[in-house]
Amino acid sequence: MKWINNFVRRRGVDRELDQEVEAHLEEKMADLMDDGMPEREARQKARREFGNVALCRQESREVWRWVWLETLLQDLRYAVRMLRKNPEFTLVAVLSLAIGIGVNSAMFSLADGLLLRPLSVLRPGEVVTVVSKTPSDPSGNLSYRDYVDFRDRSRSFAGLVAYSMSSFGFSAQPGESPRMKVGFLVSGNLFRAMGVEPELGRGFLPEEDRAPGRDAVVVLGHDFWEKELGADPSLVGRKARLNGIEFTVIGVAPERFTGMNQYLRPALFVPLAMAPRLAANAEDNILEGRGRRGLSVKGRLRAGTNMAQAQAELVTIAKGLERAYPDTNRDRSVALTTELQARIDDSPSDAALIVMLMTLAGLVLLVACANVANLLLSRARVRTREIAIRLAIGAGRMRLIRQLLAESLAIALAGGLASLLFAYAGTAFMDRIRIPSDIPIVFSVKLDQRALWFSLAVSLASTVLFGLVPALQASRTNLLPVLKATDADSARKQRLWGRSTLVVAQVALSLVLMVVAAMLFRGFRADLMGGPGFRTDHLAMMSFDPTLVHYNDAQAQQFYKDLRQRALATPGVKSAALTMVTPMAPNQHQVNVAPEGYQLPKDRNSVQVFADAIDDRYFDTMAIPIVRGRGFREADTAAAPRVAVVNEQLAKHYWPSGNAIGKRLRLDDLKGPWVEVVGVAKTSKYLWIGEPPTEFLYLPLAQRPNSYMTLVAESFGDAAALVAPLHEMVRGLDPNQPIYDVRTMTDFYEARAISIPNMINQMVAAMGLVGLLLAMIGLYGLMAYSVARRTREIGIRMAIGANRGLVARMVLRQGFILALTGLAIGLAASFAAETGVNAVFSTTGRDPLAYLLVAPALLAVTMLAAWAPAHRASRVDPMRALRDE
Amino acid sequence: MMVLQTLRGGPMHGYALAQIIKRNSGDLLEIEEGSLYPALQRMLKAGWLTAAWGLSARNRRVRVYKITATGRKQLERKVSSFDRMLEGIARAMRPIES
Repeated sequence: MKWINNFVRRRGVDRELDQEVEAHLEEKMADLMDDGMPEREARQKARREFGNVALCRQESREVWRWVWLETLLQDLRYAVRMLRKNPEFTLVAVLSLAIGIGVNSAMFSLADGLLLRPLSVLRPGEVVTVVSKTPSDPSGNLSYRDYVDFRDRSRSFAGLVAYSMSSFGFSAQPGESPRMKVGFLVSGNLFRAMGVEPELGRGFLPEEDRAPGRDAVVVLGHDFWEKELGADPSLVGRKARLNGIEFTVIGVAPERFTGMNQYLRPALFVPLAMAPRLAANAEDNILEGRGRRGLSVKGRLRAGTNMAQAQAELVTIAKGLERAYPDTNRDRSVALTTELQARIDDSPSDAALIVMLMTLAGLVLLVACANVANLLLSRARVRTREIAIRLAIGAGRMRLIRQLLAESLAIALAGGLASLLFAYAGTAFMDRIRIPSDIPIVFSVKLDQRALWFSLAVSLASTVLFGLVPALQASRTNLLPVLKATDADSARKQRLWGRSTLVVAQVALSLVLMVVAAMLFRGFRADLMGGPGFRTDHLAMMSFDPTLVHYNDAQAQQFYKDLRQRALATPGVKSAALTMVTPMAPNQHQVNVAPEGYQLPKDRNSVQVFADAIDDRYFDTMAIPIVRGRGFREADTAAAPRVAVVNEQLAKHYWPSGNAIGKRLRLDDLKGPWVEVVGVAKTSKYLWIGEPPTEFLYLPLAQRPNSYMTLVAESFGDAAALVAPLHEMVRGLDPNQPIYDVRTMTDFYEARAISIPNMINQMVAAMGLVGLLLAMIGLYGLMAYSVARRTREIGIRMAIGANRGLVARMVLRQGFILALTGLAIGLAASFAAETGVNAVFSTTGRDPLAYLLVAPALLAVTMLAAWAPAHRASRVDPMRALRDE
Repeated sequence: MMVLQTLRGGPMHGYALAQIIKRNSGDLLEIEEGSLYPALQRMLKAGWLTAAWGLSARNRRVRVYKITATGRKQLERKVSSFDRMLEGIARAMRPIES
């Protein structure tokens, strides 16, 4: 408690000290006068020998204080006072930082939501992904057999887990009609190895994953349990039915656990060993058959093992498997990737988008920091005189520097706080992104703390850095000339030069931002105007998976046959078709093909292309034109020769010379069946509206049946009105058949194709505008400062005959040169940026109009920023300017 | 250290202390007299000194400083460490013995 005492004693100490110093001086004077010195001289000598009274007093005082904190608080108080006295300066600086930091936090939060958020497991950094690797597929799934061998033979992992997404028909009571739910089939060690403690009940025991079909146990997902089952704790221990089989609910997963994927909220978890019983037909057993690769595998590295060691071990095991099972494992190896890498491999377009947005956000932050730096630099110049006076009356240099830094700190903190608003607004905006689907995909953009801290650190670093340089320089000022000179600014050209560079860089950066924004905007507009290449109106869609209610393959095919027939007979339906994938849906299908006569890359034996299995009415229903050859016919049955339709892009790529019709390609790899191309369809959009032309392959449904299909029905009138009669029709076919993803194409297209690109567009455009605004402020600040500095010079010029117009032109010219230099550099940088953007988006190549629009607009706006100071310069009254001495 | 050493001879006020230190150091050390006071405050805070108001030889109200037991101990410690330093310097300056 000593410091409290000290604190209380402080005032007393101050008074005592003053008296003491006074006494000291008087004693000394008396001594000197005793020696015969006149009083005045004695007083002077006493003072001189004592040294700096104020400094002595201050240092003595500081001994008693909680020095550090107190001076800091004092400095901050002072800083806030200074900032309040200069509201424009403060507003601009704080706003610049707030925007810069806010944009970055928001972008980082988006990146986090899309890509970076770690798995919700214990110590996610230790978890790595195992992928199966062949010459044609660098990141494939594993089969259960292979997984078991890797799990049992490897020693590098504290736990190697496998899982597979699957849909289940869930009913809590025996009589209840099943609900379609997405869940995971997981290896029995998953909860334990990932350190996930169930919120209620227990996780799986290792032996519950041993005997196929024996242990019918299920762990419920938290969201499903809470939102759809009323958060009833008594469910644990009770029975529920999955695909008609009785299961015991043994636990509820914790809320934060999203399974092994950051987007999904699985409704339930079931041991992999139950897969054969849950499957519709007995042959469909993923536990058997080394070639049935449907499992994702992740492992937690054992402490002290690194990825390279683990990878080496797995590769050795894979070599053994290749020798032992040449039929299924030839050329098959494994690779380890980090979680982040695995996600990037999963969705490279997301990663590219994030990199682009983050880069743009970084540019905005750079411009903002440049602004603040500029302002601080100009303030430091203005304050040189103030600082010199303070030094002259005995302020310590360190103290002075601390004070200037405190100002920077205050700005950075205020900027950081204000940025919260922008960041919240930004994340709220992006959180609107919804992926329409019955599968509970959770894509939440949350304001990320790490992002906030990062941006705050950047702004702190930049303000402190730019605050420090002038502080150091100012405090090293040679006092005399500064105090004597009327104009505090001794002509130091290089400083202004540095500031000009900053402004030029700002203009250049904002040009890049604007050009990219304009390019994307025009690109997207062109895409949207051009349309997706298929019909988006008058279509209703619904999806089915009859194997969930234990249809076997033949029954499922029959169901779809009946479904289409009845759909066509339903009143209001003009046409109806079946397709495996919906265009623009997030889950697209890919197949490996080896086109005839095409030289494959050396290390590969096939290429991957997006594909769909469709019936003979699909092209008509979706209004996708066949440009050459024919579409599918009813005659293309399973027994008929195998055929395919390719799109123009694929035809152009693999058979650049001549007609693709009649060409053949092998499905899967070099040993797969030959398929003959019978038609070429017009290239449309498959994944999203902004994609570059993508190769696509259509296969006839009869020759490539699938259990999950979507019915697309074209209506005469309102598509939404078709939903009810179609529902009725399906119920007539099989009342237990689960129906999901019911929606109209218009809604789906709006959500998938229009709203997301629009949002990206708006984000980029907002960043471009913000960058422009900041650059404007920067240029204005520089010009205004330069005019203020040159007031006297301008006064003289006017006194000797320069007129107002001449003066204004002189200032404008200065701004013009800066803006033009910035534009030139920005144009060069934009060309580079354009190449990058074109690699990701299907913009229309070089976009001269983007430049034509942006460059003059930017020039006009910057000139506007320079105009105000020029105007002020022209209003300078020579008499007053010269008398101002 | 010089302050403590001087005060060991008896309590003293600031000005007198400054004069004595100046004289003892043979005017070799050109220190500002003012810098004595922060040093005194530091020692007060550390508890090496106590201060009380008294009268100077010229009957002026002055603060008289007195060394405490802790102060003495501190002085001994410092002296010995100072001695060691001197010894070290001396040893380093000595010609190298082969």
